[in-house]
Amino acid sequence: MRAEALKGHLDALLLAALEGGPRHGYAVMEALREATGGRLDLPTGTVYPALHRLADAGLISGSWSVVAGRRRRMYQLTAAGRRALAGKREAWQDFAATMSAALEGRPCPGLA
Amino acid sequence: MSGPGLIEDYRAAVAAQLPAAVADELADGLAETYDNYLRRGLGPVAAGRAAVAEFGEPAVVVAAFTRASPARRAARRLLLTGPVVGACWGAVLITGHAWTWPVPPVARVAAGMILAAVIALLAAAARMPRYRPARRAAAVACAGLTAWDLAAVAAAMVLLRHLPWPGLLAVPASASRIAFTARAMRSVLAP
Repeated sequence: MRAEALKGHLDALLLAALEGGPRHGYAVMEALREATGGRLDLPTGTVYPALHRLADAGLISGSWSVVAGRRRRMYQLTAAGRRALAGKREAWQDFAATMSAALEGRPCPGLA
Repeated sequence: MSGPGLIEDYRAAVAAQLPAAVADELADGLAETYDNYLRRGLGPVAAGRAAVAEFGEPAVVVAAFTRASPARRAARRLLLTGPVVGACWGAVLITGHAWTWPVPPVARVAAGMILAAVIALLAAAARMPRYRPARRAAAVACAGLTAWDLAAVAAAMVLLRHLPWPGLLAVPASASRIAFTARAMRSVLAP
């Protein structure tokens, strides 16, 4: 799946990948790959800048450690990030239900 | 090339254009990718090639970071909101008959020139293809804009009793922009 197809949903995916606990950038990419059986293989140039943007927005926080002699930046969800993830999940479920109803020709859940 | 040499070269290539902290983070990610391929049974040279292919060539990653840089983001937002703040102050000047105010011509020209320079720098920062020049342009523009807003708010406070009603919009608009610019500067200048 191409990164462009995820426009508008990238933040939710990254927040969800951090929901289980702190991860570094490559581990976030791996988590998304594993969770989707390899169908979601986002490039470095998409994931890392987006993590920085989410950190600037206060939705995740970054902290440095040293692992095997290398500096490593770990990210974790903030309270604002958890709230944002819950909101994005709800919005996605609503969107997915609406699109499924429209594409499959059945009444929209909640309006039936 | 394999292992430490490959990772050090990669780090040096990105550090030439991106902040050191970003280069360290990317080098760690590449090292993880490399180790991952070694664990899967590839030899050091093949693992190195596969790791760079998966992680992305330095030029590609640097270009992506530049497109999403805090400097470009801040410049775009300030360019988008600038006309709103400008319209508020324009209304203050028109309704207050600014042409009758006892402001020395040199101060009027200086205010106009600073604003024009700030707009030009923001426009440049929003499009620059290189990370560091965009960062410098955005930082200077943010500093200039903050100075302009502070001067405008200070002048409004001095003239408080004679301030026309659009000042009630212009002063909070400039104050909000000062707060936004201060926050943006922290991201733009992050090491």
